[in-house]
Amino acid sequence: MKDPLILDIKGNSLDDGPGIRSVVFFKGCPLSCLWCHNPESKRRDTEISYDPKDCVHCNTCLETCQEKALSPDHPFFIDREKCALCMACVDACPSGALSRVGKPMAVEEIVREVAKDKPFFNTSGGGVTLSGGEPTLFMDYLGQLVQSFQDQGVHTLLETCGLFGLEDFLGKVYPYLNTIYMDIKLMENSAHKEYCGASNDVILHNFRELNKRYQDGGIEILPRTPLVPGITDTEENIQAIIGFYKECGVKKAQVLPYHPLWQEKNFKIGIRDYRGETRAMQSFLDKNRLQACRDAFMAADIQLV
Amino acid sequence: MLMEFQSNNASLPQPRFLLTNLLMKNLLRLMALNFNLRPSLNQYLKSNEGWLNFSASLRTENLSVNTAIVFKDGKASVPGTPPEPCDIALIFRDDKTVRKLLSNTPTEQIFMLMKSELRAKGNMTYVNLLFFLLNLLLKKKTLKLMEKEKQASAKQARELVPQSRPELSQVLEDRKNHRLQGKPTDPGVHFLEDPYLSAFSLQDFPRLGRFLDIHFTQKAEVCPERPKILTDWFKTHGFEKNSQGKDWIPELRQGLAFKHLMENRRPIIRKDDLIAGTTTTKEIGVVVYPDSHGTMLWGELYTVPHRALNPYDISEETVRLLHHDVFPYFAHRNFKEWVRDKYQAPLCQAIDERYAVYFIWKQAALSHTIPDFPKILSMGTTGIIQEIREKLVREGLSAHEQATLEGMILCLEGLTVYSQNLASQAAFEANKESDPQRKAELENLAAICSQVVERPARTLDEAVNAMWITWVGLHMENTNAGLSLGRLDQWLQPYFEADLQNISQGEERGAYIRHAIELIGCFYMRCTDHLPLTPDLANWYFGGSSSDQAITLGGVTPAGEDGVNDMTYIFLKVTEMLAIRDPNINARYNREKNSETYLKRLCEVNLITTATPSLHSDQAVMESLEEFNYAREDLNNWSATGCVEPTLSGRHIGHTNFQMMNMVAALEMALNNGLHPLMNWNLGPETGAVEQGAFKTFDDFFEAFTKQFAFLIDQSVAYNNMLGKAHQAIRPTPLLSSLIEDCITDAADVTHGGARYNSSGAACIGLADVTDSLLVIKKMVYEDKSVSFSDLKNAVADNFQSEPALHALVTKKVPLFGSGSDEAVAMADRVTKFAHDHYGSHTNYRGGKYTVGFWSMSNHVIYGTLSGALPSGKLAGKPFTPGLTPQPIASQNLLDNIRDVARLNPKNMNNNIAFNVKIVPGPNDSHEQVVNNMFSYVKTYFDLGGMQMQLNAVTSDTLKDAMANPENYRNLLVRISGYNAYFVTLNRDMQLELIERAQYGL
Repeated sequence: MKDPLILDIKGNSLDDGPGIRSVVFFKGCPLSCLWCHNPESKRRDTEISYDPKDCVHCNTCLETCQEKALSPDHPFFIDREKCALCMACVDACPSGALSRVGKPMAVEEIVREVAKDKPFFNTSGGGVTLSGGEPTLFMDYLGQLVQSFQDQGVHTLLETCGLFGLEDFLGKVYPYLNTIYMDIKLMENSAHKEYCGASNDVILHNFRELNKRYQDGGIEILPRTPLVPGITDTEENIQAIIGFYKECGVKKAQVLPYHPLWQEKNFKIGIRDYRGETRAMQSFLDKNRLQACRDAFMAADIQLV
Repeated sequence: MLMEFQSNNASLPQPRFLLTNLLMKNLLRLMALNFNLRPSLNQYLKSNEGWLNFSASLRTENLSVNTAIVFKDGKASVPGTPPEPCDIALIFRDDKTVRKLLSNTPTEQIFMLMKSELRAKGNMTYVNLLFFLLNLLLKKKTLKLMEKEKQASAKQARELVPQSRPELSQVLEDRKNHRLQGKPTDPGVHFLEDPYLSAFSLQDFPRLGRFLDIHFTQKAEVCPERPKILTDWFKTHGFEKNSQGKDWIPELRQGLAFKHLMENRRPIIRKDDLIAGTTTTKEIGVVVYPDSHGTMLWGELYTVPHRALNPYDISEETVRLLHHDVFPYFAHRNFKEWVRDKYQAPLCQAIDERYAVYFIWKQAALSHTIPDFPKILSMGTTGIIQEIREKLVREGLSAHEQATLEGMILCLEGLTVYSQNLASQAAFEANKESDPQRKAELENLAAICSQVVERPARTLDEAVNAMWITWVGLHMENTNAGLSLGRLDQWLQPYFEADLQNISQGEERGAYIRHAIELIGCFYMRCTDHLPLTPDLANWYFGGSSSDQAITLGGVTPAGEDGVNDMTYIFLKVTEMLAIRDPNINARYNREKNSETYLKRLCEVNLITTATPSLHSDQAVMESLEEFNYAREDLNNWSATGCVEPTLSGRHIGHTNFQMMNMVAALEMALNNGLHPLMNWNLGPETGAVEQGAFKTFDDFFEAFTKQFAFLIDQSVAYNNMLGKAHQAIRPTPLLSSLIEDCITDAADVTHGGARYNSSGAACIGLADVTDSLLVIKKMVYEDKSVSFSDLKNAVADNFQSEPALHALVTKKVPLFGSGSDEAVAMADRVTKFAHDHYGSHTNYRGGKYTVGFWSMSNHVIYGTLSGALPSGKLAGKPFTPGLTPQPIASQNLLDNIRDVARLNPKNMNNNIAFNVKIVPGPNDSHEQVVNNMFSYVKTYFDLGGMQMQLNAVTSDTLKDAMANPENYRNLLVRISGYNAYFVTLNRDMQLELIERAQYGL
């Protein structure tokens, strides 16, 4: 597997683990969840993005493009069939409305970038969070990265969808991590296939195994469920997840209420998915529904963090 | 006597019969007619000492309008040919602006002045008098316009947020109910088991709740007491010469006048208060200092109750007193006019009076200092008088030195009489009082005021009352602008401890601690009993500032040990519960000595109050002052003064806010070969024209910038030194001098450099805007050569309207200050170093050095309004960033901002900085989590070398809701740039700036 592309390193994140953290977003994911909040992280390859909010309509790009792939009349501005990803327009764009999505970064480069914020990690109990996309798609690279962070004394947290080869993971990555956040989205396998694009067998298996290690004194693993209206927040799914947690002996979990802010990201990279255009998918999760889900977990003695 | 600085009108013909000229002339004739024929108006042409005689010219720059009105011996006239020279001149840019003035609202008229559409020359007291007379005629119309303006502004705010969102104000209320407990880890904390005092809330102190209610609901009123008593005394005893016709020695004159004032002031004890004495006779009073800037209110005497921003009530009696009696007497006897008369209206003063470049605070006050409270607490006035007498009997004192010392004694005697009068008043009220608890409190106050300030304080109650009485005295002497309180936790702790030594029972100790909190709460509320006199123009120039009485907490003791003590936490508790704008609370954090428990508490109080205290690194501040070789124990004893500036407590006249300097003006002048574009004034030296390729390298241009900047610094320093001389003549301050180390020993007033340490401090505004502009020029013009300097300059002159791509490039593609770029930090250091070195090359009239800081009060808004577009991409009229805060677009990552500011060299910033950081707690973040995050920002910033940081913890949605629904947010505190203000009292531009700034949350 070739080295990954990195979407972004976001500093000063307060929502991705304890303390003040830097989040490294990998590009590429084995799942393709309908509601993915970072749709630009699904594909492994470089993409080009157009954000109409930043555009000053100077037309510099139209003159630059050799392939004539850009046009204000095109629904996404960029005709991605024609675009050769030469990035000439990105380089010429003064406002940053056109931008490259994903760039290769050496392990040392990431560590150097993240380590700038180390003084803040130290005073807040923070560190680095590896997210995506799916970092475990690039197991060798990820292994080197987490090892480097451990050498630097940086607390390392992995956010994963759980779909990876366990043995590989245990050998290359696990020993250098401090915490794992793993998504448990849908218990019904056919629904998981429909909405996430793959079976959940491996995911559930991996969770069981890692959770067992946690109970035996290994590193912490926290299961998290995105509450997507009508898909994951249904009574049946929530009860099934609770059942699964009970079976595993999970005491602590997290729920992530759905928000529709990702939708405009789809436009930027030229994607349209009609399933996301329902009213429910274009609104924030209903407060009462959120409370009902929370109540269900708490009734089962599962603490929500 | 009026000098002409703009020569562009000399050779033009004088058209006589133009329409506007005729219109203006007829209006003035109508005005004259009214004043001549209507006795009700004519009476206003008379002062108690005779007719008000002055002439006012109204003309345009090219004399297309040229007319005048003359007031002489009770008659007004409009001569066919304007007399030359007139006492004052109102000069309009052109005919259009003349007509504009006539139809404009008062606020629009203010902006005409600030934007140089109209300029005033000559004695400003008479300019204000002219406006007063005009307002007498136009009062009805003016009030109607003001009302219309208020309604339009409220409507605009409601359009911003059509639906009131009470849940947002509720969030702020709820913060008060989450309170952490603290562990007793600080070695100086001897009595508090939970130093955070989390068990207490405002509900436990109904007395403070009532005071707070008054504070937020009572309209301030102009108080005639001080000007009346003093004016009467001066009229009887003379100002320049005494009744024997001999020249007064100003120190002695002021001492006598002050004593007379203190003997004759009403001794007032506010209902329910634990502290006796008031600065005015009103519940909340506006103190009038006609010897400094008081006459600035003359034009507004009848409109000030109706203006939208900071309105004051004023009685008809007070209006008449000020108009007929006080202001005419002080028309020339104030700092500014003394300079105009003495130095023939110097250029440095004319620049100040055009608003766009700098403002010299010394025309209002020299009061930014920290008096030696420990001295008066431990010695009483008796002890200090004894010390002065011992000095007096020594031989070889000059008459001036003798008078200086006598002036001090007179002031201390006056202060003593005032406290005795308070004692009698308390006893009198105790006799009448039927409620036994209040009766006991009043009896106690009578006993306290019999002891202090005459003799040393023995208890916390005596110490706090002595401080307040002294504070009242100092404000009767010196303008209430930035006079600051200093290290009250250090100075009151001994009394707190002594009191507790006498209490052994746990329960009684608890009750005493509760009393101590209430007492300090009363002290804070006492400090809100006076407001500075603010002309409406200043509401737009400085908006929302109270008198900025800074208190400083924490840090180290003079010996260098951990200074955090029980009283530190009691002050923090009071700060948390009251959340008021003034006193302005500042906290020192010493990285080596102070605990994390303390720093965390500072963050918690900041979160609950949304905006206070301001946080300082002891190490960085002291490093910035190293060059002066101050004694270590004095350096350890520094306090914040006014906004953020360091002063060595009790021994330093640092007049740390002598001026506000718009650095961007120097940049604009460098871009325009010395011309200031808004003023259209060839003001600075000719440093080369961009269009003619005058700058071969970036360094050539940087040099042009520094030449313009140096010119402005030199001018402002010259004006400051002249105003310093004015203070020596008009208002030396013997009481303050008796409380500043070395003044007694040297028999010299503070205005003559009697303090042990002397300096003057500037506030330079627009560091981020200047740095970023220079970076853009360096990168794009000289390194990448992606745009020519001429094209960039043209785009700037055009406000980037025809160059949107260039605008996008400069804002998006150049690494700016705050982005984590080494080059940007180096550029900022280069600018601050130049400012530091050039100010530092000057010596002030007291023999001290000039220091320089990078904070802005609120002037970054108005100076932005008065500036055009900049190479940084700032658009015309938009505000600069506050203090030295990086532009929000510099980085998405706040930590880049924090790191860059922390890396700046503190040695170039010896008058401190103001760095704003916005904290936006998420809806699901726990109180403790938010406090921990704040702690981490502040701690890391200080670890990395940062100097000062101020946190605002409120969202832009909340601010918008507050703008539209001010009634729900009367106490919403925001930190501007160095001081606190209530959001709802700010002018519209400042509110919008804060909202815009808040949108870039974490």
